[in-house]
Amino acid sequence: MNSLDRKARTAKRTSHAIVWLVLVAGAVGMLVPFYIMLSTAYKTPAEIATTSAWAWPKMASWDNFRQVLDNPNVKFSLLFRNSALIATLSTIGTLITSSLAAYAFARLRFRGRDRLFILLLSTMMLPGIVTMIPTYVLYKYLHWVDTFYPLIVPSWLGGGAFNIFMLRQFFATIPRELEEAAMLDGASHSTIFWRLIMPLSGPALATVGLFSFIWSWRDFLGPLLYLNDPDKQTLELGLRSYQTLNSEQWHLIMAGSVLVMLPLILLFLLGQRYFVRGFVTSGLK
Amino acid sequence: MKHGTSLNRVTYVARSKVFRLTVIYLLFLLAAGHGVAAPNPIVLRLASWEGDQALSVQRKTIAEFEQRYPYIKVKLENVDYGMYQQKMLAQYAANVAPDVLMMGFERFQQFAKRKALLPLDGFIAKTPGFDIKQYYEPIVRAHRRKGRLYVLPRDIAPIGLIYYNKRLFDEAGIPYPDGSWTWDDKVRPELRDKDFLWVMRQLTKKNQEGKTIQWGYSPGWPSLTADCFSLSLGGRFTDDYENPTKILFDSPAMRRGYGLAADLIFKYGFEPSPTEMSSVMQTNATMLFVSQKVAMYQTGIWEVPNLRKFLKPGTKEFFDYDITLFPAYKDGTRRFPTGGSGYSIASSTQHPWEAWLLVQWLAGPQGMKNLAESGLGQPAIRRIALSDVWIPGPNTPVEMRYPAHRIVTDEAIPYVHFAPSGDAWPEVYGLLTSRLDTIWLGTKSAQQALHEGTAEAQARLDALRKQERLPPFAWGPAILGGLLLASGILLWVYWPERGVRYSNREKRENRSAYWFIAPWLIGIVVFTFGPMALSFFMSMADWDIIQPARWRGAANYADALTADPRFWLSLRVTFVYTLVAVPLGLFGSLMLALLLNAKVRGMALFRAVYYLPSLASVVAASLIWRRIFQPEGGLLNTIIYGANGKGDFLGLASLLRPLSPAGQQINWLGNESTALTGLIIMSLWGIGGGMVILLAGLQNIPQEYYEAAVVDGAGALKRFRAVTIPLLSPALFFCLVTGVIGSFQVFTQSFVMTSGGPNDATLFYMLHLYRQAFDGLRMGYASALAWVLFVIILIFTLLQFRLSKWVYYEADSK
Repeated sequence: MNSLDRKARTAKRTSHAIVWLVLVAGAVGMLVPFYIMLSTAYKTPAEIATTSAWAWPKMASWDNFRQVLDNPNVKFSLLFRNSALIATLSTIGTLITSSLAAYAFARLRFRGRDRLFILLLSTMMLPGIVTMIPTYVLYKYLHWVDTFYPLIVPSWLGGGAFNIFMLRQFFATIPRELEEAAMLDGASHSTIFWRLIMPLSGPALATVGLFSFIWSWRDFLGPLLYLNDPDKQTLELGLRSYQTLNSEQWHLIMAGSVLVMLPLILLFLLGQRYFVRGFVTSGLK
Repeated sequence: MKHGTSLNRVTYVARSKVFRLTVIYLLFLLAAGHGVAAPNPIVLRLASWEGDQALSVQRKTIAEFEQRYPYIKVKLENVDYGMYQQKMLAQYAANVAPDVLMMGFERFQQFAKRKALLPLDGFIAKTPGFDIKQYYEPIVRAHRRKGRLYVLPRDIAPIGLIYYNKRLFDEAGIPYPDGSWTWDDKVRPELRDKDFLWVMRQLTKKNQEGKTIQWGYSPGWPSLTADCFSLSLGGRFTDDYENPTKILFDSPAMRRGYGLAADLIFKYGFEPSPTEMSSVMQTNATMLFVSQKVAMYQTGIWEVPNLRKFLKPGTKEFFDYDITLFPAYKDGTRRFPTGGSGYSIASSTQHPWEAWLLVQWLAGPQGMKNLAESGLGQPAIRRIALSDVWIPGPNTPVEMRYPAHRIVTDEAIPYVHFAPSGDAWPEVYGLLTSRLDTIWLGTKSAQQALHEGTAEAQARLDALRKQERLPPFAWGPAILGGLLLASGILLWVYWPERGVRYSNREKRENRSAYWFIAPWLIGIVVFTFGPMALSFFMSMADWDIIQPARWRGAANYADALTADPRFWLSLRVTFVYTLVAVPLGLFGSLMLALLLNAKVRGMALFRAVYYLPSLASVVAASLIWRRIFQPEGGLLNTIIYGANGKGDFLGLASLLRPLSPAGQQINWLGNESTALTGLIIMSLWGIGGGMVILLAGLQNIPQEYYEAAVVDGAGALKRFRAVTIPLLSPALFFCLVTGVIGSFQVFTQSFVMTSGGPNDATLFYMLHLYRQAFDGLRMGYASALAWVLFVIILIFTLLQFRLSKWVYYEADSK
């Protein structure tokens, strides 16, 4: 090993160390709010009132968590099931239908494509507040009020402009040569989509899947409007009942928030390996 | 016109056939499910906004009701108070309003005026033994409109109670107040403990450095005390409380009352300023009281359950406390604002009598007893408010005994003063109080703020009150216009390519493309375009959501551009936010993604940590961020000013010094100059979302390109420029476009954290729009605002596409 090589390696190691330090500092900044969240979740109301937010709870106990889990007004396990069902079904729908549309917009030529795409984007530009009531009326005529349909079906019909746009951008980066080779072999567009584009887009699909699951899991306004029956409500909705007009039960809000967040963290960690290069590493060779 | 009437029905509360058939059909299903023999119970839907604790009380009361009336079944539909109005309005619009609604005093006029509620007088007359005189007279009077009663009151909540800490009174050697005290414009030492300000002064303590460590007094919010003072001096909010025409805040009484309230903070220092208040957890006076930092504080009886949570007899945090009446002016006049709520019957109910039975039960002795026992609300029936379920007696359990002197809630009734109502009031009063923020921030004198605020609010009220004779909304032409619009869009999409001839292969491609986008096309046609078109029609209408729309043409747009003082203001706030937050966020996400794409130890963990904030619930995040922004002991200020308060991190402390009073650290969210910056900082916490997208983009870049570049002898920088940037550009472009779209519609932070304040410094366009729609019931105007925003965003987006030559699409390259 010559000295030049060693120099380069030292330089590389130093730069890695710097990167690492920057990341650690940033990570601490990101985590501080969660420290408050977690420590508050273990405190009694009196402790919250009299001690600093930075102090670790003196008598850290699981009482707040137990209270949230056992509350007869907010049936945690039932709401958990509802949330999980809604989020899973809408995520599957979003993944399938948004990638279908994104593929066409990214890689196929068809009449009116570019202007249809502007129409697609325009659906994101009108504030939901003013379409909310007409949409509600529409669902009422479909007899969908107080069912999960309004929270799931739209995901199976395109999954939203945001996701289509995102996938379109990803699909657009896949090299043209692959497609042309497949075409020469006589593959149809649907074969190319399922066998080529989808397998090459692991990270992008994982991202869209994650986003739509989280979005659905944390959606507040949709369930609030469309679900009336207390047994049909979602976790995010249940969490709000600890924050009321004249009393905010911070110890329970924080404990509940931790519990509601846990599945998402788990999902993210489990999905980690899909965010990095997916199943197919190489298509060119 | 057939279509015309059917669409009309969409917006009109009437007993439509469809609705009735639906109910019958549902009842039929219910009956079928339960076997034919069982008698069908009558199902009543009850809407409420109870919190966790009150919900248990509510359920108990309902269970008792169902036991008493076995043929009635009650379905309780409880929602968050903040969203209650929105949900009720949606249900009214869709003709599925609940049978019985919980109704706050501040809202009922809006519903009653539009005939959305049934007057209760007829039911009362038909109910033997029911005597409305049992209820406190002022609250019954407040719930009448044009002589008819629309809400049966359940509780009354005068805000004129002073909670006092007995231990601190003992320490100062002051006798406990018995309510016979008075106030004057200055301290009256000769009256001793009969003088409110003297008591405050005795209870205010400073340390050697001159820093206040204990305040004499704090109101729930500063203008509350000001209102009590002003009302006692004979001041009035407006000339006509049901239908305000003149804002009366620029009167001598108001100037004196608000001036004195400001003096308590800035001149005498008896009361903590908003900055000093935000140094404590919930930014609220209850916490100051519980932690013994203030000796007296003013609020309503509803705080008792909160106090009981913190002050449990037998624990070391506990101290004895009690309540007394807010003092009278020296001439004996006493006035304070009040609240209250009750139950109403929706006019669309199919079972009015059963609904009345439920209302009578919830807002009757049974419901009130349950409520009073939990300590949550003062019963509206006097007999019950005087009984031992409310007033502690010898049998009251020890933890329910505080505060003992609860009889003052009854003594308070003659002095209550209900706030004005009417459609325009929420907006006009909101505008006024935003301007009055400047008093409590110490930036303007009470006199000046009242003068300017009143002038501005009056101008707005005049504009809103302009009587208009509007024709019914012309659905025929509107639908025609809609069809024209739809054909216009189709033409716009397909006209440019009309001459293009496709080869067979291209035809096949075209056909399969339409199959691929079919789900989206169906979705957009069925679920998206209809509501969008309807909101466009409504932007040309006067529509209050409950009643049929009326035609206004372009007047909504003209009003926005010329008559609405907060249109340009909120637009400016939103522009500033977008211009700063989007580039910063994008840059941050990109840096983060690049760093995390490197093969450094622990990357998986870092990725998770940086993404964590995007997973936190809004409610929890808002509390946490208040802790970070709080002036003293907050994370941000600890960094800037150091733990000892003398530091100057990166010169920031010196930079911020002119923005806050001498010696005080910056109150990020409470200061007009920094509140928006605070929200921008908070938005950066969420850069993990962009990071994940860009990271996926980086991972999508085929490794072969880098390998090929290395073979060609490209260095790291060259590889970054020639491979990374072009191949990442689609993802970057996506983040930019959606970031701009999203940030123009930013809403939640200001809604939850700052309510648009202080003095409208964080009044985002969407918040303004939201309030127009649901507080002011001006959905037509809100729709016009939305379409203006739509056009702005569209222009910005098209501009970005026009300038998107830097984005490299592999699919387009040949």
